[in-house]
Amino acid sequence: MKEDFPILSRQVNGKRLVYLDNAATTQKPQCVIDAMNEYYSLSNANVHRAVHTLAGEATEGYEKCRVLLKERFNAPRVIITSGTTESINLVAHAWGECNLNDGDAVVLTEMEHHSDIVPWQMLAERKAIELRYVPVTDGVLDMDIFAASLEGAKLVCVVQTSNVLGIRNPVESIISQSKNVGARVLIDAAQAVPHEIINFEELGADFMAFSAHKMCGPTGIGALLVNEGSFSEMQPFMGGGDMIETVSLTGSTYQVNEHKFEAGTPRIAEGVGWAAALEWMADLDLENHHNRLLQIARKVKQSLENRGMTVYSQLADGDSAVVSFTHPSIHPEDFARLLDAQGIAVRTGHHCAQPLMERLGVTGTIRASFYLYNDETDADFFVQGIDRVLEAMA
Amino acid sequence: MTWPTAVQEIIEEFRDIDDQFEKLEILMDFSSEVDELPTSEWTEETLVKGCQSIAHVKVKIDEGNVWMKAAADAKMVQGLQGILTIAINGNSVENVLQLTPDFAEEAGILNSLTPSRSNGFRTMFDMIMSEVRRNS
Repeated sequence: MKEDFPILSRQVNGKRLVYLDNAATTQKPQCVIDAMNEYYSLSNANVHRAVHTLAGEATEGYEKCRVLLKERFNAPRVIITSGTTESINLVAHAWGECNLNDGDAVVLTEMEHHSDIVPWQMLAERKAIELRYVPVTDGVLDMDIFAASLEGAKLVCVVQTSNVLGIRNPVESIISQSKNVGARVLIDAAQAVPHEIINFEELGADFMAFSAHKMCGPTGIGALLVNEGSFSEMQPFMGGGDMIETVSLTGSTYQVNEHKFEAGTPRIAEGVGWAAALEWMADLDLENHHNRLLQIARKVKQSLENRGMTVYSQLADGDSAVVSFTHPSIHPEDFARLLDAQGIAVRTGHHCAQPLMERLGVTGTIRASFYLYNDETDADFFVQGIDRVLEAMA
Repeated sequence: MTWPTAVQEIIEEFRDIDDQFEKLEILMDFSSEVDELPTSEWTEETLVKGCQSIAHVKVKIDEGNVWMKAAADAKMVQGLQGILTIAINGNSVENVLQLTPDFAEEAGILNSLTPSRSNGFRTMFDMIMSEVRRNS
């Protein structure tokens, strides 16, 4: 598969690139690069309004992305956004503002990415809503406290797969328990959709947010999946072109479909690129890749533990292939720079999840995250790279 | 850019090495040059913000010459602080203020010195210069 990704044939610091920062962003296959290049070379125009040929091609190319997303995720409503962060902020503004009232509770978890914490804290500054955080105990969500926190909850926001640990939370149970108390559920699926095919309607969540760039698509584009009930409760958040039906000096009426939440010229080339990525991924056996990568990650985890590292990822069956670890004395930044010097790209720091870091008792970790194009050879290079770092820092 | 002789020598030492890993190993060796700022002197004012690691710097001007003390938990940052110590300690305010932060890039130590959120080195350098200006 590596041959589909031109970037993987480059060298970094004179060494073969071993890209293990996939939880931050994935690389793009040639077909995505070609699709975006072709769009700008041959079909660039604004979408939806004009009647000329280019506008038609641009609209068709862009809207294809929405069609493919609806098919892949079995979602009745797909709002195209700039990514997971905007999707969650959109729920806070377009749904939260008009459906949450003073005294209502929103349940979050300590495992959330900042993008699923800050929008709710900001909403809590505008409305007297109560934010409840489900703690992480022994690396997993404390489901007893989750159940207790549901009393009076109007909304539950939970990450499906942790960007730090790779842990997949029991979202099926979380959704069903939330529904029992009448709470709406928002799933942050940014790290889940690259690794599994999710049937949104069957899962039963109200909102699901994710980004294209973590699943081989372009940066700057993502989606919010919404069920019909919650969609009908959302009010437009951003006003402008494309989201209106009519405008007069005394007032405006809005589109009734997803465009109502997509004011302004959209990310057309990115939509075209994402459509190409979705078509490319449609041919893959994701489950097979998931299991293969998990085996590789488990082997890496074992190698790291044998070398005295603390690995925070549990790598249970549903988890994604993310190995988050620390060394007892080597600073993560030193580790990452010494790995980079060997062509190995990993991420260090708090991974935009400071509350979770606090719970783990660390200020940051080193994270190696594997994706479709990674193989055993990458894992071997990584462990060899680790050994060289350990030798240098001994 | 003309560098003080000591810094120029360091740049050339790094330039002679092709392997990035070896460069970083040598960078870490410069950590021994740091005049350590004891934790008892760490304050909000000495903290370098925007660094992935914990880093502190404190600048003192004595009879027109600049002296810096520093500390960091990452060895690589300590190495950069060590090079800065060589460039700064005992030099006149005037000479120190002529320094620019791109020597690390010039020597090929760091990939980029753009003032991004992850580049604590640039922040640290700017902090030292503003302290020198403030205290001189």
